Amino acid sequence: MSKNLSALSFRKGVEKNVFERMVDAADKAGTAEKNDVVHQMGQDHLFGDAITLGAVSFYDFLKKENEGKMVFVCNGSACLCAGTQDKLHHTLETHFKSEEIGHICCLGRCHEGGALQYQGKNYSGQSDEALAELVKTGKGDAEDRYAVVSHLQPAQLTAEFPGIDAYYAPFKKLIAGGDRDALGLELKESGLRGRGGAGFPLHFKWSSCRAAEGKDKYIVCNADEGDPGAYIDKYLMEKQPHSVLLGMMVAGWFAGAENGILYIRAEYPDSVTIINEAIEDLRAAGLLGKDILGSGFNFMLKSIKGAGAYICGEETALLASLEGQRPEVRTRPPFPTIEGLFRKPTIVNNVETLANIHAILTLGGKGYAQIGTPKSTGPKLLSLDSHFVRPGIYEVAMGTPLQTVIDLAGGFKTKVKALQIGGPLGGIVPMSHVGKLTIDFESFKYEGFMKGHAGVVSIPESMPMIEYIQHLFQFTADESCGKCFPCRLGSTRGKELIAKARADSSYKIDRELITDLLDTMEQTSLCALGGGVPLPIKNALEHFGAELNPYFKA
Amino acid sequence: MVKDLSTLTAFIDGDACQFNEGDTLLNFIDRHRGRGHVPTLCDAPQLEPYGACRVCSVEVALQADGPRRVVASCHTPLTAGMHVFTESPKVRKLRKNIVELVLTDHPLDCLTCEVSGNCELQTVAAKVGIRGVRYPAGANHLDRKKDHSHAYMTSELSKCINCSRCVRACDEIQGQHVLSMHGRGFNAKIIKGLDESFADSECVSCGACAQACPTSAISDVFFSKSIEATKKTRTICTYCGVGCNLNVATKGDQVLSIQAPVDAEVNHAHTCLKGRFAFKFYNHKDRLRTPLIKQPDGQFKESTWEEAYDHIFANLTRIKNDHGGQAVAGISSARCTNEENYLMQKFIRGVMGTNNIDCCARVCHSPTAWGMQKSFGTGAATNSYEDIEHTRCVMVIGANPTEGHPVTGARLKQHIMKGTPLIVIDPRKIELVPYAKHHLQLRPGTNVALLNMFARCILDAGLVKTEFVKKRCENWDEFENGLRALDLPALEKITGVSLELVRAAAIEYASAEAAMSFHGLGVTEHEQGAKTVMLISNLAMMTGNIGRPGVGVNPLRGQNNVQGAADMGCQPHQGAGYFEMADLEVQKRYADFYGVPSPSEPGWKIPQMFDAAVEGKLKALWLMGEDVVQTDPDAHHVRHAMESLEFLVVQEIFMTETAKYADVILPASSFLEKSGTFTNAERRMQRVNAAVKPLAGTKPDGQIMCEILQRFGFPQAEYTPDGVLAEIAQIVPFFKGATWENLGINGKQWPVNEGGVDTQIMHQEQFTRGKGHFHFFPWVESNELKTNGQEFPFILTTGRILEHYNCGTMTRRTGNSEIVTQDLLSINPEDAKRKGIRTGDITRLSSARGEVELEARVTDEVKPGILYTTFHFPDAMVNNVTGQGCDGDTLCPEYKVVAADVELVRMGKLKKKQKDGFAPAMV
Repeated sequence: MSKNLSALSFRKGVEKNVFERMVDAADKAGTAEKNDVVHQMGQDHLFGDAITLGAVSFYDFLKKENEGKMVFVCNGSACLCAGTQDKLHHTLETHFKSEEIGHICCLGRCHEGGALQYQGKNYSGQSDEALAELVKTGKGDAEDRYAVVSHLQPAQLTAEFPGIDAYYAPFKKLIAGGDRDALGLELKESGLRGRGGAGFPLHFKWSSCRAAEGKDKYIVCNADEGDPGAYIDKYLMEKQPHSVLLGMMVAGWFAGAENGILYIRAEYPDSVTIINEAIEDLRAAGLLGKDILGSGFNFMLKSIKGAGAYICGEETALLASLEGQRPEVRTRPPFPTIEGLFRKPTIVNNVETLANIHAILTLGGKGYAQIGTPKSTGPKLLSLDSHFVRPGIYEVAMGTPLQTVIDLAGGFKTKVKALQIGGPLGGIVPMSHVGKLTIDFESFKYEGFMKGHAGVVSIPESMPMIEYIQHLFQFTADESCGKCFPCRLGSTRGKELIAKARADSSYKIDRELITDLLDTMEQTSLCALGGGVPLPIKNALEHFGAELNPYFKA
Repeated sequence: MVKDLSTLTAFIDGDACQFNEGDTLLNFIDRHRGRGHVPTLCDAPQLEPYGACRVCSVEVALQADGPRRVVASCHTPLTAGMHVFTESPKVRKLRKNIVELVLTDHPLDCLTCEVSGNCELQTVAAKVGIRGVRYPAGANHLDRKKDHSHAYMTSELSKCINCSRCVRACDEIQGQHVLSMHGRGFNAKIIKGLDESFADSECVSCGACAQACPTSAISDVFFSKSIEATKKTRTICTYCGVGCNLNVATKGDQVLSIQAPVDAEVNHAHTCLKGRFAFKFYNHKDRLRTPLIKQPDGQFKESTWEEAYDHIFANLTRIKNDHGGQAVAGISSARCTNEENYLMQKFIRGVMGTNNIDCCARVCHSPTAWGMQKSFGTGAATNSYEDIEHTRCVMVIGANPTEGHPVTGARLKQHIMKGTPLIVIDPRKIELVPYAKHHLQLRPGTNVALLNMFARCILDAGLVKTEFVKKRCENWDEFENGLRALDLPALEKITGVSLELVRAAAIEYASAEAAMSFHGLGVTEHEQGAKTVMLISNLAMMTGNIGRPGVGVNPLRGQNNVQGAADMGCQPHQGAGYFEMADLEVQKRYADFYGVPSPSEPGWKIPQMFDAAVEGKLKALWLMGEDVVQTDPDAHHVRHAMESLEFLVVQEIFMTETAKYADVILPASSFLEKSGTFTNAERRMQRVNAAVKPLAGTKPDGQIMCEILQRFGFPQAEYTPDGVLAEIAQIVPFFKGATWENLGINGKQWPVNEGGVDTQIMHQEQFTRGKGHFHFFPWVESNELKTNGQEFPFILTTGRILEHYNCGTMTRRTGNSEIVTQDLLSINPEDAKRKGIRTGDITRLSSARGEVELEARVTDEVKPGILYTTFHFPDAMVNNVTGQGCDGDTLCPEYKVVAADVELVRMGKLKKKQKDGFAPAMV
């Protein structure tokens, strides 16, 4: 990450954002990787040609290979396990040339499978006839249907939205004369931990940014929910958008930031639209802009659409992306609360984390902490895939048994041998271990798994575990930013080892080699991508040894 | 202090060691165990920690036997009491595994590789104990093509390990952003510009990337990092006044390559293409290798040194006897060492008995030396390059540092990109302008008008630091009264810059906690050059920007040793150490020291020498390394002067335009072949060390001067750099504490007091002259424009480019001539359209003196009515059009304002791409 580029990008800031321009260029032409476009953007933002070209070439939807793609088929884990995509691809080949069909990783239609994006809209579970109609007329059923169930009573994150006036009442009270120290105490007492996966205490992050020196500070919502199998943030943005926006505004007031940016993945077009509408509603209600309600508090909100890169869910990569730099992971410290967006103090929170703020304001820190376990407080959403009888979003108190969630969803439609919980870097939980787990950080860690963001993908009996491992390596290889050596090289070599063993029955993988590879990636990778993928693979090797043994040397 | 120590102690493999605040684990381990103890592939001392390769992984624990975790040492901060395990079996295995992965996508052709033996990957692989690669053959990038498009830079990206050192060097050192990674993950690759070749990219060939690359993925035509040298010599660059330290690799008498030392305080592992690559002139076939004496038929004849010396002795003695010493003059060289310059003025004053000694500071920064002496008492930079790190506002006036002083320019650019506000006062949109907060694009020749407006705005804004002015300065009232009487609307018209823009910049400068100004020849080479310098000094004084870190008035001196040449007394009015020659006390001091009478008559400055030659008053001239015909203005007049002389001695390394007029030519040695000291623009004397023996038949200028002094019967010892320096230290007060030994590798900044204590920041308690003196001057229109402006409606201003140096004697004999082949004429699109000129067309540039043909470059870097060109190529002889206008105080020529006209001569070929723009400016 270049300090120079951060500072150059700061000159145009959020308003005339260079990354936004790159995305706009690709929206118009299918790619931003055109010399004249690259050069002009570089001139306007004082970036060298190589810098701009290097950035746009990174993203699936900006790079030149994207030009001419007409339709995108989801290749995420849930759709893979749903077994729908080979047929979908085949059907699409009757309508498009094969080079016009691209891939996209997880549209958040995991509850149905068969997901695709066409003309900027997402679809899933389409029949052949419906697809033919869609291609012919451009019209189709894009409705996203899934169950929303709360086991927690009263529901917090899935409660019905009471309207802006009522929902923002505690926020208005806060800015009218609230005490930041008091809010800090409430946050601390709430015990809220980040919901993106790492579980970092929110109070530390917010306080650090508040204490950081600097006139310009930023609140960034990480809405790049890239984990295949997760659509929790998508649900919140599309059905509870104000829960997220309120969280950002409280963060801004608390830390002294005047700008809030939502970095929303391009795979969620409806989220972008709905969030933008909600921002407009807030503006109309006089809750955004200068001197909000005469409080002296200034705040601006803006969404910026991503461009197809899983790594942008990693906070430093996300910030680099917003600056128009290549979204490569950077070393920490300094943490974003000290040097974040444009190297200014920044709070980066995940969507679901921010959505919890309203509950803290209304219940108080202590009241909030009564939900869940002492170390994992508050409510948690899970997203269940299409193998469940009633797939959808489930709200539970932290500490609820995993089995309870499965029961609430009516169990499985098909025979399932394992659940991958927490995205591609989450653990693979064999069904035999389901009973040992409760939905909280500690239980998963203790059993050798990881709760992560808590998207749940079911691995059916019919899915060979070796294929699933290859899928995980492939995913990592596809999405690795390429900066750190263990991830860039290790994911590709891992993928090749598995592929060779599958393709060539005389080739057996050396156990020491795969162990060395996984240990090296796990312990030396720069971020959680290369460092995380060994966990599910090790889980699989441990729990599905009999199934996998034929591919390895004795 | 036990407590303090304990808070800065940590353990390396069980040993308690002290650390510094802010240390990373790797800094700490490197310092105690030596660089390389913990291997790394992506870290480099000149770059910021990056954390890509992870080979530097170590284990850390809070207690000796506590739980350990693996971290990358290059970017992990150290905390007190931490235990670091650098050699545990676990980390050894992890490192080996990573390097094994690297080798799965790297050619295994070490034995035939350019960098074999000097390859960091090879070293690290050996250190971690790699024997083979266990992975089956997989995808790789071994088929990437080589790039040999460029005169210097090369790439072979099949050797690339994606450590991004080159990208970071291009960003963090040069700030050029020519290199980047492209794509992502396993297929990420290095690109140049728009994924083009080095030659087609905007690369400025500084070579920082090649020096940083751990393999041969990016290298240069000299194989600089891998070449098998028998010796490496640290010396100082011969080009500009930045004073970069160079490491010269040699084998026998061959210079193989040059790199920039990481521990150089001036240039921190950086140098430009001139310093790093443009050295092949040193043994070029054109080098003069034997003394030459002109025969009556006008032909040169080779001679022995003795014959040449005899010829000189006979002629100079005759002329001196017949016409007196005043008929003899010398021009020394800012390219030569302090010691050589010192000896030259010693010869002219002590033997020839005249003050007719000058140097090329006359044609560049004499107004700076003079003006700053009047204001502050010392004619040199008040501060240091290091102050760039501490300043909060930079003002660049009439200078183009990224081209003229590339390493300082790059250092400035680093800070300006990061947000330090920059004010540029220049008629051209120089490279830094897009990054600047304020650009005051004034009409050439109106510096005094603009700076008066600037000062008035500070006054009107109430930003004068009254306390500083009262306590430290004098004559404020005259200045204030002058400012108050200004006709601001008239000045707006004259300068072409609105008062509003000037005010914003003035407030920026005056309100900054610490503001630093840099100026160049765009200030000095004017009729009011010295006055402009004094106005810049006024601005610093009225805002209290003197005598502390990050402030001051800092001339960007042109030549490597132009500061030193003046320090050594190579100017007619002041002897070694800036003592006024008109002063009887001074004359006595020198007479006592040298044991010969001191000349008392005032000497001639260079332009006066030419006039005197034409008038027949000056009979003999001695030129040490100056090509006055090509570089001094109004070349016709200079030629006439050369022809008028009875006797001309030229000490040179090449046959120059001027040397052709010589009666005797003495073949001198280049900087690579001599030892002495150069003084850079921040008053830093640094040791020049001979990397190779003098080219056969040549002698270092210092040796020549010593032999000449001896030939004229002066009791002069043989030339040794330490011996001459010791003599200088006795006569120049601000060199008092300097010795050859204590200059060390990074030199010392004068004044050097006893004990070798040097001075980074001058005028801290009081000014050298006591009180800082304010001067007021009204702006006066240039005579050139008043006289010739009607007939020649354009204003031509001249300058230089990155790739060539001065008249190009050296750079044109290196690969730089492949990169830039000619001088170009910049013309604004509006003017070009009116004149029917397009980029690439051949134009005729004319003035009252003469005309030259130049290829046009249509660009908005100049305003309408303004033309710009350079004077690097003798084919163009741009100085045929420049005039004899000069600074009223110092006679520094007015290169920056020439009344000119331009016409289309013939259409040129359309160029596909222009260096500074994506599309050719088609008008």
